[in-house]
Amino acid sequence: MSLGFLPQLPPAFGQPALFGALLLAGLLGGELVRRLLGLPRITGYVLAGVLLGPQVSGLLAPGALGEARVLIDLSLGLIVFELGHRLDAQWLRRNRWLFVAAIAESAFCFGAVLAALLAFGFQPLLAASAAAIGTATSPAVGLLVAHELRASGQVTERMLLFTAVNCVLAYVALTLLLPFLHLEHAMSWREAVLHPLYILGGSALVGSFASLSLLWLAGWVGKREDRQFILLVALIVLAVALARGLNLSVVVTLITLGMLVRNFDRRHALLPLRFGYGGQLFFVILFVLTGASLEFGALASPVGLAVAAFIVARFLGKGLAIVAFGRLSGVRPGSAGLLTLALLPMSGLAVVMVLDTQAMYPAFGGELAAVVLSAVAVLEILGPIATQFALKRAGEADPAAGSA
Amino acid sequence: MDEMQFTPSSGPTLGVELELQLVKSHDYDLARDAGELLARLEKVKLPGAVKPEITESMIELNSAVHTRYAALAAELDAMRDAVVREAGMLNLQVCGGGAHPFHSWTERRVFPTERFKHVLERYGYLAKQFTVFGQHIHVGCASGDDAVYLVHMMTRYVPHFIALSAASPFYQGEDTSFQSSRLTAVNAFPLAGHMPFVKDWAEFLEYFDKMRAFGVVESMKDFYWDIRPKPEFGTIEIRVCDTPLTVERAAQLAAYAQALARWLLDERPRPAKRAVYLVNAFNRFEAARFGLRGQLIDPYEERKKPLADDILEALAGVMPQASALEGAQALAALAADVRRGYSDADWLRERYAANKSLAHTVRESAARWAGDKPRASG
Repeated sequence: MSLGFLPQLPPAFGQPALFGALLLAGLLGGELVRRLLGLPRITGYVLAGVLLGPQVSGLLAPGALGEARVLIDLSLGLIVFELGHRLDAQWLRRNRWLFVAAIAESAFCFGAVLAALLAFGFQPLLAASAAAIGTATSPAVGLLVAHELRASGQVTERMLLFTAVNCVLAYVALTLLLPFLHLEHAMSWREAVLHPLYILGGSALVGSFASLSLLWLAGWVGKREDRQFILLVALIVLAVALARGLNLSVVVTLITLGMLVRNFDRRHALLPLRFGYGGQLFFVILFVLTGASLEFGALASPVGLAVAAFIVARFLGKGLAIVAFGRLSGVRPGSAGLLTLALLPMSGLAVVMVLDTQAMYPAFGGELAAVVLSAVAVLEILGPIATQFALKRAGEADPAAGSA
Repeated sequence: MDEMQFTPSSGPTLGVELELQLVKSHDYDLARDAGELLARLEKVKLPGAVKPEITESMIELNSAVHTRYAALAAELDAMRDAVVREAGMLNLQVCGGGAHPFHSWTERRVFPTERFKHVLERYGYLAKQFTVFGQHIHVGCASGDDAVYLVHMMTRYVPHFIALSAASPFYQGEDTSFQSSRLTAVNAFPLAGHMPFVKDWAEFLEYFDKMRAFGVVESMKDFYWDIRPKPEFGTIEIRVCDTPLTVERAAQLAAYAQALARWLLDERPRPAKRAVYLVNAFNRFEAARFGLRGQLIDPYEERKKPLADDILEALAGVMPQASALEGAQALAALAADVRRGYSDADWLRERYAANKSLAHTVRESAARWAGDKPRASG
């Protein structure tokens, strides 16, 4: 007699199992790290990913990581949307020096990293691409640490604002470098010019279209938190899918969406944003997956020195701009260092940028990618600790909230 | 004893303290940046003073001493502009109102100064629940005896000030049904209430010394009375008002207090009467709960009447004094609002009904405080 109802071995669990396993691993890693070492939970999420990833146990095979790209894009989409939503144009208009400081923060950081990489003999174009990637602060770390500490204050607000600005600028810079990379690879000038235009223009267009739809629908469903939450998630997921389907940038599309709904909600249709527990799921997924894709191999090699230079230059560039323009924009003297520290993390966004660049230009691979990814690996572990320390030290964490 | 030495004032001078809410621009919840804002304001030349208050979500504007309403109004206007501008540099907004409509008191942090830490230690959760925002009006008196008389006489008008300023219908996310829910938060303190019925300053000092000897209080600051004498300023301090939604209203309320004080002290129309305190709790409740639509028991005429009528009569009654003090225009504005049944509490409810979100109600309230015209529709 055959038992046809029994599954074939091994059973096929597919994506849901991956999703659940990642969450569980993240949860366990986060709690263990917090209880045993007193470190931020984010560090635990990342370490859980490292343990699962190809570098250690190999439970998450590179193939599975490819499949998980949907989850990464979705998580990143939600997060940069929220970040874009914190980019308050009115604040920049009222406080011009803040605008200057935010631009300088990105520019100085880019310049410092570029100089360091050139000193190590990397090819200028590729070094510039790496510097652009290095300019971005991890939006996920900043937002999650701020959420978990229930932090509120000037360092927190400026950290998120500067992060939004440096993510946008980093992406734009990286995209604008595309034509030069294209030409170097002997593609037609037409492709070289049209490709970045397509990515930036297309992403901005999709983001704008989604924001108009979101605002219109929000006005129609009314000010009910539950319905607006569903609406938000629906449109964010759709925008991510559209950006992916059209070969656009998920980051630019979603950050545009966030910025536009924040700054063009003329009829005040939207309620203040609150993703709550639902949003946290995506943070955990993102960090575990980022952890799994980290590469530590290069750290021991001769490239290790370049990695150190990359990290130090990045920190100094950011710090110099904040010290130079912080006072004028209203940062208290003692807070400049803390703000710089809070802006330290690099993460999933940088990994995505490296992977995308690599996919289009294999020349970006090899040593340079190793330098950037190693810097990400170091800052993914140290970054959350730095951010948490900075916000707590600034007195902006809610003492009742415990630690992240 | 120095603290209790009554410093005489030259006539019914005016001063105002306004406790203001600091809110974040992205979710309109209370911010915690009072320290940063105060540090900025220290560098700005301001006519009055800006001080920290008990929580990091609150700042207090103190006007200088004035003899005329117009000068007070102009000063408050200038201070408002400066505070709004500096707050804007930090992406904060400022608003009036007696309470934040939806903040959760468990999240409030007390300003880290010694006195405030002591208050928190002593009163526990009451101190945090006391995240409410009031306007205090000081009126000058020539002597301690005048101050005692004026406190007793002004108590009859306490419901007027409650109803005219009421601006805290929402508290911790709910419509409390009160016009001023803030006053209820004040009631919980053991030393809330009113001054005892003493006949003059000497008897008041006797009472105060006794309370201090018992260890009930250390200084006048420990009494959370509706109206209390402030000997070192030479004033009485009316403390029942919610912070209004606009500085204009705050100045008008002060002008009304000044005109009343001038009338009471110059003409001594009636003797102080113990019965005022018998009906006080009832009158106070009616005004806080129903505002201009409440009732008032007149302890002199010994009858109940609509509070709004009583306010209009009193405003008309002290108009000569107000004119002499160049504040007639302020009283006329108050009377006009009473006639059309308007209060800030009603405005807040109306805005909430229109936009169905307390966060957006705070947004509109902050815009009003900053001087924008109220929006016609949501």
